[in-house]
Amino acid sequence: MSFDGKVLFCEHRPNNETKLGKVEKLKQAGTHPQVLVRADAVTKIYRSRMGESVEALAPTTLDIHEGEFLSLIGPSGCGKSTFLRILAGLETLSGGKLEWRDGAPTKGSDVGFVFQEPVLLPWLSILDNVRFPLDVFRTPKNEGNERARAMLALVGLGAFEKALPKELSGGMRQRAAIARALVYRPRIVLMDEPFGALDLLTRDRMNDELLRIKNETGSTIVFVTHSIEEAAYLSDRVAVMSARPGRISALHDLDLGPERSEAIKDDPRFYQWLSTLRKELR
Amino acid sequence: MSETTLRRLFAVATPLLLIGAWWAYVTIFNVPRFVLPPPDAVFSELVRLFTSGTIWPHLAHTVGVIVAGFAIGSAAGFALGFALGKWPRIERIVGPYLFFFQTAPKIALAPLFILWFGLGLTSKIVLTVSLVFFPVMVGTILGLRSVPANLHSLCAILKLSQREKLVRVELPAAVPEIFAGLKVAAVQATIGAILAEWLSGGTGLGYLMVFAGTTYKTPLLFAMVLVTSLLGIAVYQALALTEKWLLSWR
Repeated sequence: MSFDGKVLFCEHRPNNETKLGKVEKLKQAGTHPQVLVRADAVTKIYRSRMGESVEALAPTTLDIHEGEFLSLIGPSGCGKSTFLRILAGLETLSGGKLEWRDGAPTKGSDVGFVFQEPVLLPWLSILDNVRFPLDVFRTPKNEGNERARAMLALVGLGAFEKALPKELSGGMRQRAAIARALVYRPRIVLMDEPFGALDLLTRDRMNDELLRIKNETGSTIVFVTHSIEEAAYLSDRVAVMSARPGRISALHDLDLGPERSEAIKDDPRFYQWLSTLRKELR
Repeated sequence: MSETTLRRLFAVATPLLLIGAWWAYVTIFNVPRFVLPPPDAVFSELVRLFTSGTIWPHLAHTVGVIVAGFAIGSAAGFALGFALGKWPRIERIVGPYLFFFQTAPKIALAPLFILWFGLGLTSKIVLTVSLVFFPVMVGTILGLRSVPANLHSLCAILKLSQREKLVRVELPAAVPEIFAGLKVAAVQATIGAILAEWLSGGTGLGYLMVFAGTTYKTPLLFAMVLVTSLLGIAVYQALALTEKWLLSWR
């Protein structure tokens, strides 16, 4: 899967005509992006104890493309986390269906999830934490160690494999959590405001790290955030959601190119997107 | 003088001062030996207990009751705590009875245990078990319930089987609370064993205390208070050390 994703990236040159986003370009070229999973009129209704029902997510339809970085952005209560948890299989559907291209995830290694907090096992070292999924999937220990070490190096924690979670800073712990979610090469990585608890500087650095990791692994990432800037900086596409009932109110194909760096933050198009997204969030 | 030497000096001086005051009070006011023996009498009694070997069978008996009661009680407490922690529905059914059993004073139940299980070892172990059981059960329930929701989500994402989730996540996460229960239980076990020996039988530290009290062998009684306190501390420390070793990640 990553192969396709990478080829798509290469075809897309940021210096050429970049008014069109990735999806538009592909459509022009006659190729459609591969849909990894299609959410078809997915709804979620919670029933309170009083018997009232609350529609957390109105019928929502969205295609998630192979290898893309898709952000879900919106105010709290807009159902963005609910939608993500539905994709992860952590919530049941009240209506609609999810169509996976290769069948619904049945193995634990199909989906990677990064929570708002690191959610590491405090009694395990960083290496053991990152290797944890591989242990669960019965990967031989040697191979597991090798892959976990490679992943730790990728997130810049190579020197800290023996450390316990409590000995690391919040940003480092979150990087370990990302390494744990990527180490088994899931079909899709779901991230629920992973950098929400970090300070701005660390957050910027983590964003760059994440882009770099994504370029190396070619993973499909669905990313929930309430930061407009973060969404614009990271994403190929942004789905804007609004509350009561939670729904997708706009879907944008960003034309900022696949190569992102600090420089893009001075690009007028970046500002254009920030203002567009901000208006839509009002 | 550095702070540590000062602290060490205090650590030695305080008990010496207390013993000095005790000794002064007894000699100045000429207190009878059977009311309050002087510290040297207590000390020589303590030495005699160990050198003559009188204490060993009693100590062994008490330690035996503690170990057996603690082992059975914590195993049962863990088993039930585990069931209640994993299936809250069971707790709703048996919870009130357990609570009733726990609030009933065990000391009041002791004669009943003797009536049911005889004057021998069984009734003593049963009393100890009844004291150990509850704190371990509560600790286990708390520990299993304290597993953060996100860890459950992680297990769901990785599709861990129930057994694997238990072994890899829930039990390790519950260890701190279980140990808190075990430490309380260890002290309770010591109290329970000595209390049981007070009430029945002809061996054990508790019996020796009753013997000393009824025959006005007050130095022996004081020596026994020291021995039982030290035993309680030893039992607690043994657990605290195990905990420190198991919970080095904290």
